[in-house]
Amino acid sequence: MISVQNLHKTFALTKQQRKELNTEAKTATAVSDLSFSCQPGRIYSLLGPNGAGKTTTLRMLATLITPTSGQITINGINALEHPQEARKHIGFLTGSTGLYARLTPLEIIDYFADLYQVAAKDKAERKAYLFDLLNMNDFLHKRIGKLSTGMKQKVSICRTMIHDPSVVIFDEPTSGLDVITAENIIKLIRSCKDQSKTVIFSSHIMSEVDLLCDDLAIIHKGQLKFNDTMSAFRANMMTNNLTEEFIRIVQMPTPLA
Amino acid sequence: MIFRIFRKELLDTLRDRRTLMTMLVIPILVFPITLNVFMEISNSFQESASAKTMKIGIVGDISQSYTQQLEAIPAAIGPKKIIAFKDSAALRTAIEADEIQLGLLVPSNAKELSKQQQTITLNWLLDASEVGRSERAELYAASLKANAEAERLQNLGLRPEQIRPLVVNTVNCASDKKMVGQLAGGILPYIFIAFGFIGCMYPAIDLFTGEKERGTIETLLTVPVLRWKILIGKMMVVVCSGMLAASCALMGLFISIEFLDLADNKELLEVIHSILTPYFILSMFALLLPLVIFFAGLMIPIAIYAKSFKEVQSIITPLNIIVVLPSMIGFFPGISLDFTTVFIPVINVVLATKALIAGTLTWPYFLCVFGIMCTLAAMAIAISHKQFGKERNLLL
Repeated sequence: MISVQNLHKTFALTKQQRKELNTEAKTATAVSDLSFSCQPGRIYSLLGPNGAGKTTTLRMLATLITPTSGQITINGINALEHPQEARKHIGFLTGSTGLYARLTPLEIIDYFADLYQVAAKDKAERKAYLFDLLNMNDFLHKRIGKLSTGMKQKVSICRTMIHDPSVVIFDEPTSGLDVITAENIIKLIRSCKDQSKTVIFSSHIMSEVDLLCDDLAIIHKGQLKFNDTMSAFRANMMTNNLTEEFIRIVQMPTPLA
Repeated sequence: MIFRIFRKELLDTLRDRRTLMTMLVIPILVFPITLNVFMEISNSFQESASAKTMKIGIVGDISQSYTQQLEAIPAAIGPKKIIAFKDSAALRTAIEADEIQLGLLVPSNAKELSKQQQTITLNWLLDASEVGRSERAELYAASLKANAEAERLQNLGLRPEQIRPLVVNTVNCASDKKMVGQLAGGILPYIFIAFGFIGCMYPAIDLFTGEKERGTIETLLTVPVLRWKILIGKMMVVVCSGMLAASCALMGLFISIEFLDLADNKELLEVIHSILTPYFILSMFALLLPLVIFFAGLMIPIAIYAKSFKEVQSIITPLNIIVVLPSMIGFFPGISLDFTTVFIPVINVVLATKALIAGTLTWPYFLCVFGIMCTLAAMAIAISHKQFGKERNLLL
């Protein structure tokens, strides 16, 4: 389970960034006062346009970056106080995830299993299970640099799941992938739900969200514009289709506090 | 966990051709190849210079005395042909056109001066920029001088000892080891420092900036391993690479000396062998290790800060010059380790290594240099750790 309370993140702007953004402000707010929770066995989707603050939010959940203020709890663990402990429960996959081109899939999976301190017996079982599931056995000893995009994506999935995380975070996981390769990710997300894992994924594609999610949050300019179930979103639609409704919500003025 | 990270990064690094080239191949081959080529060229120049017939033009040798003396000099020092010239201007023109290689100006009154027991001044004309000409002129001059002195002494009825009351000899009390240390001791630390730096460069760029560019750092930072452990694991590979490159360069130099007859002087070879003891090698590595850690600690924060390979290379390349230039101080005579130079990083290691080769390095100086370099290395690690902890530096 993920619980987020009053999450806030500001970044200090460099001179160059201030010039580019044409501002004199010394900081920029990426995420402001976010509160939500993701339940096990449900898929929580973070939907928002580019630059909305989705990646920053997910990076904070994955303990990659520290919030300016607020609380994050992962399976009851305070992620800000005990990030190492929280990381053991998290699997993190992004669309831009890279792999070590000079290593083989087997070497990468072994490396990450060791970093997650997976016991030798569990490691062997998890590897066998995932290699069969993802049909990876034919290219385990080939260098990553020689693999196709689809094969690489399978290695990334395997790396994310090798320690059997109970919380899985996907940051625009299908970004830049063709339909067939993206299908592997869709299957993975569904399989995580079936295994009662807590799943959160970000996207800017409404159709993808519609296909998968149980709970939906719409984020824009770092602020939460909608946070409810997908069925509630559908039931309260004021436009003809999901995309138009998403645009309407995003363009809604933020009520003054 | 640090060792697991080290193992993986080392494997990754050893599979990178570019790093492998700078870490192993170039350091091992650079000395055997460059020194061999240099020796071959130098030998071929010398051989062709000594085999070439030297045309000697003479002006003013009316009695043919000097012509005969020159002709009497054995051809072992090189073939020659003597041609008489009427005036010095024509001789100079011939030398400038390289028709004549050496010109001898004999005063027209040489015979009278000899009779009057006066000093005869001979002048050699030559193009000193050409290899071997000055040396050949000196050899001929020495022979002519010896003949003239012998003749003069005979005429005076004197023995050489009678006009040479005092002979002053200089006896060098320095050991051969010390002489080698002072004269050639500068090259060893220079090699170590230059290759130690270059060896660190590509792994530092690849393991930090490269990870950012390839998008692998994000995944690595989500694992339940403390960041300082990740940093140390990576840093160990950078340091190993620097040490390996420096050691390979030393090995290359050793191969050149042992197998390419670089030092054909048997005594010099014995001195070199007496220097290269296990104690010397261990002491040198003890001096070099903190220096390479210091190099790694200089490069890693830059590699962490930079966003692209191009950016980091543009910063580290000038740094290379700043760091490697002071290591050339070892080539200058007269600069030695004292309580000022011992505190200057890089220079202190150069001078300590030079003293180590000469066998003059004392324990207090050794410990002082080691301690200072360890302190600097620790500071460099602390700066790297600080940079590695900054979110802004790690994620693009």
